[in-house]
Amino acid sequence: MKKHKFLKTIPMKLYLILAVFIIFYFFFNDFGLVDIQKTAVILAVGIDKTDNGYSVTTEIAVPKGSDRKMGGTSSLEIVGEGKNVSACISDIFSKTSWVPKFVFCDLIVIGERAAKEDVFSYLNYFIRNKYMPESCNLAVCEGTAQEIISSQSAIDDTSSLAIGKLFSDASVKSGMVMPNTLKDFTIGYFGPSKSSYLPYLRSTPQKGSHTHGGSGGSNSSSGGSGGNQVEEQAYSAEETALFSEGRMVGLLPHELTFAFSLLKGNVHAGNFNAKEDDADATLTILEDEGGVELDMKKQKVTLSLDLHARLCCKSVTSEVEEIASEEASDEALESAEKLLRADIEKLWNTCKEADCDLFNLRRSLYRSSHKKYEEWKDDLIDSLEVEIKTNVNR
Amino acid sequence: MKRISSRQLYFFLACIAPVGKLLFLPTQLANSARNDLLFPMLASYLVQAGAIFCVLLLAKRKMNLYELLENTFGGIAAKILISIFALFLFYATLVPLLEQRLFVQNVFYDTLPSLIVFAPYYIFAAYVISKPLSSHGRVWDILAPLSVFGFLGILVLSVGSADFGALLPIGAGGIRGFLRGTMSATNWFFDASIALTLLGKFDYGKGMAWKGALFYLAGGVGVLTFLATFYGIFQETALHQLFAFSQTSQYFSGVTVLGRIDYLFIFALALVMAFYCILPAQAGVDCLLQAYGKPRYLPTVFSVLVTGTLFIISLTLDYRFSEVLEVISGTMFWIFPIFTVMLPILCLLLRRKRREKA
Repeated sequence: MKKHKFLKTIPMKLYLILAVFIIFYFFFNDFGLVDIQKTAVILAVGIDKTDNGYSVTTEIAVPKGSDRKMGGTSSLEIVGEGKNVSACISDIFSKTSWVPKFVFCDLIVIGERAAKEDVFSYLNYFIRNKYMPESCNLAVCEGTAQEIISSQSAIDDTSSLAIGKLFSDASVKSGMVMPNTLKDFTIGYFGPSKSSYLPYLRSTPQKGSHTHGGSGGSNSSSGGSGGNQVEEQAYSAEETALFSEGRMVGLLPHELTFAFSLLKGNVHAGNFNAKEDDADATLTILEDEGGVELDMKKQKVTLSLDLHARLCCKSVTSEVEEIASEEASDEALESAEKLLRADIEKLWNTCKEADCDLFNLRRSLYRSSHKKYEEWKDDLIDSLEVEIKTNVNR
Repeated sequence: MKRISSRQLYFFLACIAPVGKLLFLPTQLANSARNDLLFPMLASYLVQAGAIFCVLLLAKRKMNLYELLENTFGGIAAKILISIFALFLFYATLVPLLEQRLFVQNVFYDTLPSLIVFAPYYIFAAYVISKPLSSHGRVWDILAPLSVFGFLGILVLSVGSADFGALLPIGAGGIRGFLRGTMSATNWFFDASIALTLLGKFDYGKGMAWKGALFYLAGGVGVLTFLATFYGIFQETALHQLFAFSQTSQYFSGVTVLGRIDYLFIFALALVMAFYCILPAQAGVDCLLQAYGKPRYLPTVFSVLVTGTLFIISLTLDYRFSEVLEVISGTMFWIFPIFTVMLPILCLLLRRKRREKA
């Protein structure tokens, strides 16, 4: 009887022992918490091509201490070098003993020289990194990425946060910037078009700005700390770099970036200048409806670039009574239409010369007919007949 | 004994069963069939709905699976057959359990946590498995609204970021892509087997067979919509996006301002999944109990043994999930159709009348 009772309680005893063991073991783990002193929280990455391989500049967030007067994020730039990105990251680890953590990385900047080769030879590292957010912004810059990441911003302690402001929703709606993310750039690269675009960053020294003596928020490991004079910079991304098969093949100036934004239908309340009575008139886009269509029904494949925009006039020298009226004059509208048409034409020619399928025409062809895609994909862009339709009204 | 009501059964088929197909399966299908990933999924759903129809027809006979087998083959053969079926169900638990563990470790932690972080789940699993399968009816009552809430929330946040044109042109993956996709999806479709173990735990109502199949297909429509959204968002990069349902909603414009509010819905689905992924193991234990009687201590013994084995296997295969998946959904893919499609159909041929006991 006693033996039977003992046997009956064995499973419950075993279960309790197992539960106690697992709970005991569980409380001996670190719960995945990150020790900020031992981890490099990377905010931005800059990639440059060097003679021996690559150089990766990481902007690492550092705790700012308990001084409540100092707001924002402080950062530190560490440069790693190696034959590939992985080796560069290892180099950073060996220099700092900090484990790089990409989960908060929101910007990858590619240097001018690195953009001339297939960028996926190094972006692959980030795509394969499961902790890297694919919504991270991607940009190309003039000169080296190290320069721009390590520069002192005039508006923020951390350069990447200042650059990040360029890619805000408001900037996109102004039509001045065409940001792109790692995910969308990758889709463009691996898709049938094999083309994409990235904003092109430039930095300009601010006139009359302060020079920092190295004691500010940002300091670079390569430049040494303390004592060096750093000029404050302002950043712009009004130009757009064109990519084909992962290589930078062209650059759209700011007016063509604006035309591209209009065709994408992104612009709301963006401004541009037209002529009225031989004087500049600033027009504001109230409504923008852009469209790119590939028509394969006609004998020759036709591309139509359509733009319907509703404009209002914002600033033209006028009588004080006319200030309340925002109606654009016929002359201003006509001038705007001519200007936008010319810009769209220039945009198409730039893309054609660079062999960049910016409007994803090959993708449209692929989606409409796999058979026709195989037949036409190689000379589609050269053989297209282009129709530009602009409809600008008030 | 508690009975499962028809409502609870439909909740399982329409709301709980689809959740298990939202983690690795979309990626797996994108890998095999590219933009044609909807077709292997649709085919798998149609076949499985047919199998569920057959299983629910069997419910008319008012016998559980063991009784059905015993009635035709006798006690010893029935015990052997049901033990094999139970082994299959334990085997079917492996992928859902491993994917659930990887999901928790990768999505809820910023860096790869230690193995033991997931260990308490096995205590929960052992407890759930030791409970009678029929008690799940009440659980499904609670989980079904949670599943709908999580699923709709994720879908609403995701659908705006999707370019559904990416699913074109239809048929680009070819028949080979379709077959590969269908083959690689088999190990996620074991719902008809679960329904087999539920026989005898619910009463057959009028039209239950076709209603059950329709509810299952309704869940399938939800999964297909999610799959289209998933591919529309990630397009060519879909084949390396693991943990699909935790990925799609992060591109919602509000997320950049408000933070990952979508985690609310992800947690809701994760909770449903916590019950779903051990359901085959629980069904397997129930099969053994049907065959070997129900002494009070037996469910606990089976539950501890099964959970302990799964725990050890999961520790051993920690970094080998892709190899496990390759074997289960590649080399050994044929095992699943045998138990989840052929078995329910063959069960319809079993003896209808109860054999008179001597």
